[in-house]
Amino acid sequence: MKKIVVEGLKYRYPGAERLALDDVSFEVNAGELIGIIGKNGSGKSTLCYALTGLVPHFFRGAYGGRVLLDGLEVKTSTVAEISRKAGLVFDNPFTQISAAKETVFEEIAFGLENAGVPREEMAERIEWSMKLLGIEGIREKNPFELSGGQMQRVAIAGMLVMKPDILILDEPTSQLDPQGTEEVFQVIRNLAKEGMTILVAEHKVEKLAEYADKLLLLHDGKCAAFDAPKRVFSMENAESYGVELPLAAQIAKELDLRDEAGLYPAAPDELLALLKGRLQGAAGTDERFTE
Amino acid sequence: MNGMGLYEERNTWVHRSDPVTKLFYGITVSAIPYILPYMGVAAFFLCLNILLLVLAKVFKKILPILFLSFFLMLSIVIVHGIFHPDNRTPLFSAGGIHFYREGLSLAALLIIRLLNMICGFGVVVLTTKPDLLVNGLVQTGLSPRIGYVIHSVFRIIPQMAATVNKIKDAQRARGVETEGNLLTRAKALFPLLVPVIMSSLIATKERTMALELRGFGSKGKRTFLKEYEEGRYSRQARWFFLLLLFGSAVWRVLI
Repeated sequence: MKKIVVEGLKYRYPGAERLALDDVSFEVNAGELIGIIGKNGSGKSTLCYALTGLVPHFFRGAYGGRVLLDGLEVKTSTVAEISRKAGLVFDNPFTQISAAKETVFEEIAFGLENAGVPREEMAERIEWSMKLLGIEGIREKNPFELSGGQMQRVAIAGMLVMKPDILILDEPTSQLDPQGTEEVFQVIRNLAKEGMTILVAEHKVEKLAEYADKLLLLHDGKCAAFDAPKRVFSMENAESYGVELPLAAQIAKELDLRDEAGLYPAAPDELLALLKGRLQGAAGTDERFTE
Repeated sequence: MNGMGLYEERNTWVHRSDPVTKLFYGITVSAIPYILPYMGVAAFFLCLNILLLVLAKVFKKILPILFLSFFLMLSIVIVHGIFHPDNRTPLFSAGGIHFYREGLSLAALLIIRLLNMICGFGVVVLTTKPDLLVNGLVQTGLSPRIGYVIHSVFRIIPQMAATVNKIKDAQRARGVETEGNLLTRAKALFPLLVPVIMSSLIATKERTMALELRGFGSKGKRTFLKEYEEGRYSRQARWFFLLLLFGSAVWRVLI
């Protein structure tokens, strides 16, 4: 089932000369986990805004094409309406703290209060989201006194608790250590398995290679590729788009190791398997030589 | 940095009183001395407020705030004591400058009103958790947007102060002289102001977006995690304060 349909989306910020998004089209099925990659300024954040209605409702500017979320047209809906369907987490956790609440628990409740969720259900959902992100221990803390990583988890929990069908994350792990990043990716993969549709704009290609179903590569506001991670990493001109390859793919490219489909491996174990294959092959030839 | 603003945690009946009613109290006792221009009225409410501050065990906390208004009070005494147009009766002279009875008695009234107002709002602010107050107000019918603005004053200003310090440190690390005589410090102000203002504007924009995304602009019915329960006799107390305000306004018109 198509959860997100983007057709010929064009957008220019007010006062800008260049299109921030230029004729972007793609479709996402329910339960897919999509990584959005591209250089700084390629339009990743703008696309995230466009999927949640901040573009065009908050930023204004020139807008063309259309974005459908589960049939709901973004252009003709309000941000509050869209917020019931699609949630967005920014990279900067500090500004996502509502500043209206005294504790983490209440902070996470903020979105539920606005949506009019009954109180009994609230507590249950907050517990669920805190458990997912491993922040039960800081429930009574003042959200402003947390570390960057904790704040980021609170910001994600505050969005998850609203159980949106579609979750969009704009560099959600910018403040997290490798361990925290891994945990967050595991959480979102599990949510995707449960049917949540997830888009992550992220620079950490290793994680995307491991977890994403597909990658959406943006370049100068255009959609340069929308395919499985391995295919995107194996593109001839990947580097000209500023795509940073995961380590496994870099090594494979250097050694010109490709799998049966002619693609570079993206994960370490795949690379290992290919390397073993080649070494055995080489050993085999060696044996023939010694005979 | 405590994020609670001026709130002081104590366990007294003043702290436990209904936050919204306390706000009614603060407004009433601050306004009446302005409506009724008698020294006695102002002095009475000032004493009442000081008594409440003592009972709430927060009297010490109001002193630095009173001290901040010291220069304002001093200028009131000087301006009215020396220059008020009604000045007729010289009271004393200091260094060849004459102070007059009329001006000084007006200055005294203004100062007592000011002290009373600071203490009156001190009773509210020092003993009430901002979130309880705002929660109470919003559930009594205040627009959530205005509630947010009130709360953010308590929340965001300490954050901005922290930002100022951070930027100050950053500028100092890059060689801007921030300490020394007045001129040096004045010069250091410009490289401080621009980033502080810019970063506040950017933070505000992002925070607005984040609020929108969490449905803050929603027009539907809201629910509340913490249900606000009106304190006992709150209704009566609020009516009483309103009546006092109204009564003193009528009195003022009649005299």
